[in-house]
Amino acid sequence: MTPPASSLVPPRILVVDDEPQIHRFLGPALAASGYEPMRAEDAASGLQLAATRSPAAVLLDLGLPDLDGQDVIPRLRAFTAVPIIVLSARDGETAKVDALDAGADDFVEKPFALAELLARLRAALRRAAAASGQHAPAPLIRVGELEMDFAARVARVAGAPLKLTPREWDLLAALARAGAGRVVTQRQLLNAVWGQAHGENSQYLRVYIGHLRQKLGSAATLIRTEPGVGYRLGFPE
Amino acid sequence: MSADPATGPDTRPDPDALLALAAREGHGRLKVFLGASPGVGKTYEMLTEARRRALGGADVVVGLAETHGRAETAAQLAGLEVLPRARLPHRGQMLEEFDLDRALARHPAILVLDELPHSNAPGSRHPKRWQDVEELRAAGIEVWTAMNVQHLESLSEAVARITGVRVTETVPDHVLTGADAVELIDIPPAELLERMRQGKVYRPDQAARALKGFFREGNLAALREMALRRTAERVDADLTGYMRANAIAGPWPAGDRVMVLVGSDTTAEGVVRHARRIADALRAPLVALHVEQPGKPGGDPGAALRLAEALGAETETVVETDLPRAILAAARSRNATHLVIGRSRPRLWRRLTGRTLSAVLVRRASDFALHLVPNPTAAGRPRPVPERRRLPAWMAWASVPALVLAATAVGHAIDERVAEGSLGMVYLAATVAAAVSFGALHGLAAAILSFLVWNFLFIEPRYTLTIDGPQEILGAVVFGSVALLLAGTAGRLERTAFTAQARVFGLRRLVEFSRRLGAPMDRAALLALIAEEAQRVAGCSCCVLMPMSGEDLPGLGLPRARRADDTELIIRAAAPAAAEPDEASLAAARWAYAKGRASGWGTDTLPATAWQFRPLPAAQGVAGLVGLRFAERSEPLDTERQRALDALLDQAAIALERIELMEERALAAARTEADALRTTLLTSLGHDLRTPLTSIRGSLETLRTMGEALPPAARADLILAAEEETARLARFASNILDMVRLESGQVALRREEVDLPSALEAAVERAEHATGRQVQRRLGPHLPAASLDPVLLDQILANLLDNALKFSGAAGHVAILARREGAGVAIVVEDDGPGIPREDLGRVLDPFYRASRTDRVAAGSGLGLSIANGLARAMGGQITAESPVRDERGTRITVRFP
Repeated sequence: MTPPASSLVPPRILVVDDEPQIHRFLGPALAASGYEPMRAEDAASGLQLAATRSPAAVLLDLGLPDLDGQDVIPRLRAFTAVPIIVLSARDGETAKVDALDAGADDFVEKPFALAELLARLRAALRRAAAASGQHAPAPLIRVGELEMDFAARVARVAGAPLKLTPREWDLLAALARAGAGRVVTQRQLLNAVWGQAHGENSQYLRVYIGHLRQKLGSAATLIRTEPGVGYRLGFPE
Repeated sequence: MSADPATGPDTRPDPDALLALAAREGHGRLKVFLGASPGVGKTYEMLTEARRRALGGADVVVGLAETHGRAETAAQLAGLEVLPRARLPHRGQMLEEFDLDRALARHPAILVLDELPHSNAPGSRHPKRWQDVEELRAAGIEVWTAMNVQHLESLSEAVARITGVRVTETVPDHVLTGADAVELIDIPPAELLERMRQGKVYRPDQAARALKGFFREGNLAALREMALRRTAERVDADLTGYMRANAIAGPWPAGDRVMVLVGSDTTAEGVVRHARRIADALRAPLVALHVEQPGKPGGDPGAALRLAEALGAETETVVETDLPRAILAAARSRNATHLVIGRSRPRLWRRLTGRTLSAVLVRRASDFALHLVPNPTAAGRPRPVPERRRLPAWMAWASVPALVLAATAVGHAIDERVAEGSLGMVYLAATVAAAVSFGALHGLAAAILSFLVWNFLFIEPRYTLTIDGPQEILGAVVFGSVALLLAGTAGRLERTAFTAQARVFGLRRLVEFSRRLGAPMDRAALLALIAEEAQRVAGCSCCVLMPMSGEDLPGLGLPRARRADDTELIIRAAAPAAAEPDEASLAAARWAYAKGRASGWGTDTLPATAWQFRPLPAAQGVAGLVGLRFAERSEPLDTERQRALDALLDQAAIALERIELMEERALAAARTEADALRTTLLTSLGHDLRTPLTSIRGSLETLRTMGEALPPAARADLILAAEEETARLARFASNILDMVRLESGQVALRREEVDLPSALEAAVERAEHATGRQVQRRLGPHLPAASLDPVLLDQILANLLDNALKFSGAAGHVAILARREGAGVAIVVEDDGPGIPREDLGRVLDPFYRASRTDRVAAGSGLGLSIANGLARAMGGQITAESPVRDERGTRITVRFP
C-alpha cells in the first residue's frame, strides 16, 4: 500500500462518478494510499478537470448523468494518454470491450475490491511511466519468468528459448507490448496479428493462445483470460 | 315433407270408418304425435286421447309408455291396459323391452307405443322400434306413437348443427311420410322452458343441466320450426329474430334459397331489391347470379352485384351462351328453390313464338318457384334479357330432313337449268346449315341424307342409288368429304367453346376465391373458406386437416381430435360441418401428410378408402391436407375441375402461409418487446443493487486496510456511509418486495382516519433528514380527514419525495402541496429538475421505468413512482405525472384520493 516511489508530489487521481457514496470512500482510500484524489460528479466537470489539472490516472464510471461514460473515453483520448480505468456497474462484456476498444486501459466491476482497484491503478501508472520514458519499443520486456527479446525475436522462459511460429511470436509480442497486466481486447489482438479483415475471428485467437500456453510451459499462467473481453499478460500483483 | 297436415280434433275423420278401411286393406293405420323437443307433452297427449278412446269402447292397449317420472303423464295411464314388458338377458343384466310378440298375440285395435326412434335392446327381433311398428301395422294393428322432430333422419344433420347434439337414434323419413295422421304437439319454447323450470319435465337436478345444454331457447325455437315445417308449411314469426341473430351456423340446409338473376341493364338493381324482400319473407339466403353471354353486348352488372353483396347476398358470375340453361344449372348447384327474374319486355316475335326467358323458364324450371318481378324503374325501353335461339332436340332432328327437303325443292326448281353437279352445292348448303346450327351429328346426318336424295333424284341414272361416270363419282366424293369436314369442324368448335367456357368459369371462380382470400381474416375463417370452396369446386364433402400444434393443447375449441401414431391431424374445418373422415381414411391422411403426396380414393395409395387427401404445399413440407369425400362409384374429376382444384389448393396454401407468417411476426414482436423489458429490468436491478454494495464494500475495506492512516473524522464518515448504504439497500429490497406484492395483488388495506397535515409533515421531515435538504410545504386550508391506510400513504409520500429529491439534483428545489378537491384530496410533489421527456410521460408509472438511460440517474429511482402508483390504486387513488411544469423544467406528480 505504498505510494509509487520516486515521486515527491502525490499523483493526482481523477474519480468521475455521479454517486456521492463512491467518492465518500474512494477519496479517503486514495488519499491514504498516497494519491491526491480529485472529484467529479459528471462528465463535463470530469473532462474539465482532466484537461486543466493533468491527473496521473482517471477512474471513470460509465453511468453519468450528462454523457455516457463510453463517449467520455474518446473525448479524453483526444487530448491525453492518461491511463483510464473504467468502473462499471454494467453487466455484459460488450460494455467492457467497447470501453477498452475506445481507449480505456482497464476496468473493474462494481462492486470491486479496493485492493484490486489499487493494484490495477499502480500497474496502469507503471505502464504509463514506462511508456512516457522511452518512445521506441523496449528491446527487452520481462514479465515474470518470461523474457521477450525483440531485437532477436526470441522469447525465453527461465532462460530457455521457446520455439514459436511467427504468428505466435506476434501474438505474444502484442500482449507484452501492451504492458504487463494490461487487458488487450480480442479485436485489438486480431487486428495486430492478423490484420483488420479478421477482427471477428476470435476462434483463431483461442487456438493460438492455446498453443502459446502449451509452449510457455511453467509460465503458461502468465496469459490470463478475461472472459468475453480479451487477454492480459501477467497480472497486477 | 309430411303428407298429412295436422289433424285437428274437429277435422278428424270418422275413426270407425277408417278402422274399417284399414281392416279392409289389411294394414294398420299409423298415427304419429310429433313434437319439437322432449317435454312438449306428446306422451301425455297420446295417452289422454287413448284413454278417451278406451272410454268410448275402443280396444286400446298401451304397448309401452315412457312417463319419465312425470306424474301428470303417469296419471293418464290409469284405466288403460298396459302390456307387460319383455325381459331380455344381456351381459348379466336384465333389460326391459317392448314385447312385440305379446302385442301381436293380443292384437288390439289400437296399440300405443311411445318413443318411435328407440333402438331396441340387443337380442330383440328388430334393431329399431319403428321396424316393430311396421310389423304391427302389417298385422293390421293401428299404432299410435310419438317422436321428436330431431330424430328424423333427414334432419339429424341440421339438428346437430343447430344444437350441437348429434342424434344417434333416427327414424327414416318414409315412416313419417307414410303415417296416416301426424298430430303436432306444439307449445312455445318459453312455455316449455317454464315447465322445465317447474320440474315438470325432468327432475330438478337434470333440469338445471338440460336448461344449460340442449334446452336453450334458440335450440328449441329452431326445432320447433322444423316440427312446424314438417307438419305444415306454417311459420312461427318468433323465430326470425333468433335466426337472424346468427346463433345458427350456416344456412338452413333444408330450407329455401332464393336466386336472383342480375342482368346488366338499369332495372337490375330494382330486381335485386325485390329479391331481397322475397328472401326476407322466406327467411332464406339470397344468391345473385349474373350470366355473362359471350358475344352478346352487355352493360356492366357490377353495380347491381355490389348492391346484392351489400344486401347480404352471395354473388356468382357464370359464362354461358344459353341463358336458361345457365340459370337452371346454377340454381340446381346452389340448391335454390326460388328463382327471381325481372319482367322484361321482349321483342314481339319472341313473345309470339313463346321464346321469352320467362316462357322458357316456366317450361323448363318445373322444380323451382319462379318469381317474375315488375320493373319499377323501367324508364324507356329496357334492353330485353338476351336469350339464345335454341330448339328442342326433336325439333333439331326434324330440321335435318326439312333442310334436305328444302334443298331438294330448290334443286327441283333449278333442275335442267344448271349442270346436275351444281345441284350438289345446294345440298352442301343444307348440310353446312345443319352442322353449324345443330352440331356435328346433325351435320353428318344431313350429309348422308342429302347425298342419298341428291344421288337418287338428280344424279344419272336418276331414281337409283347407283353412280355412273367419273364426274358423278368425283362429285360424290368431294361432296362427302366436304360435308364430313364441315360437320367435324363444327363439332370441334363446339367442344372448344365448351372447354373455353369451363376454363373461364374456373378462372372466375378462382379470381373470386382469391379476392375473398385477400380479405383480412383469421386462420379459422380461412380454413372454413378453403373447405367451402373446395366443396364447391369438387362438388363433394370436404374437410381441412392440420397437424396439432402447441396452441391446441389446452383442448379448448377443438373440433375433433384424433389419436395418430406420429402426427396428430385435426379437422380444422369441414363443409358441410359434419364431414368427417373415418379412421381408415385418416390412415391415408397421415400417409399423405408424411409424404406430401395425394392419397386415398382415386390415387395409387390406399385407393380403397372413401376419402381423398391432397396436401396443401408449404415452404417447408406440408401445411395441411384437404380431404375430399367423393360419392360411391363417382367418376374421377374432369381435367378442368382437377385444374381448378389444384389452383385452389395452391392459392389456399399461399394464403395459409401468409397468415402463418403474420402470426409468427406478431409473436416475434411480442417476444422482442418482452426481451427488451427483461433486459431493462435486469440492468436496473443490477445497477440499483451494485451501487450501494460498492459503497459498503469500499468503505469497509478502506477502514480495514488503511483505517489507522485515516483521521478519526474520515473513519466515522466511512462507518456512517456503510450504514446509510445498508439502509438504502434495505429500502430497495423492500421496494422490490412491495412491487412483487402489488403485482400479485397482496396488499392488505387498513383504513383509518388520517390527519393529512401531520402525515405529510412526518414524511417530509424524514425525507429532509435523510438528504439534508429542504422541502417546501404548501398545505391548503380545510384539508378533509381522509380514510386511508396510513402506512401505505407514508410509503407513497416517501417514494414521491425521494424521487423528486433525486431527480432534481443536489441544488434542486422540491415542494409538496396538498389541497381539497371536491370531496377528495390532492397531494402534489413538484421539483424543478430536468423533467420527464414528453414521450416517456405515459410510461413513467410503469415498473422499472427510468428517464433516459437506465443507469445514468441516481440508484434506486426506478421503482418509486410505480410503487407509489400501485399503492395509490390499492387505496382507490390515482397518480398523474406532468412535465415540464415551467420553463421547460420540472416534474409534477399528483396523487388524488377520492
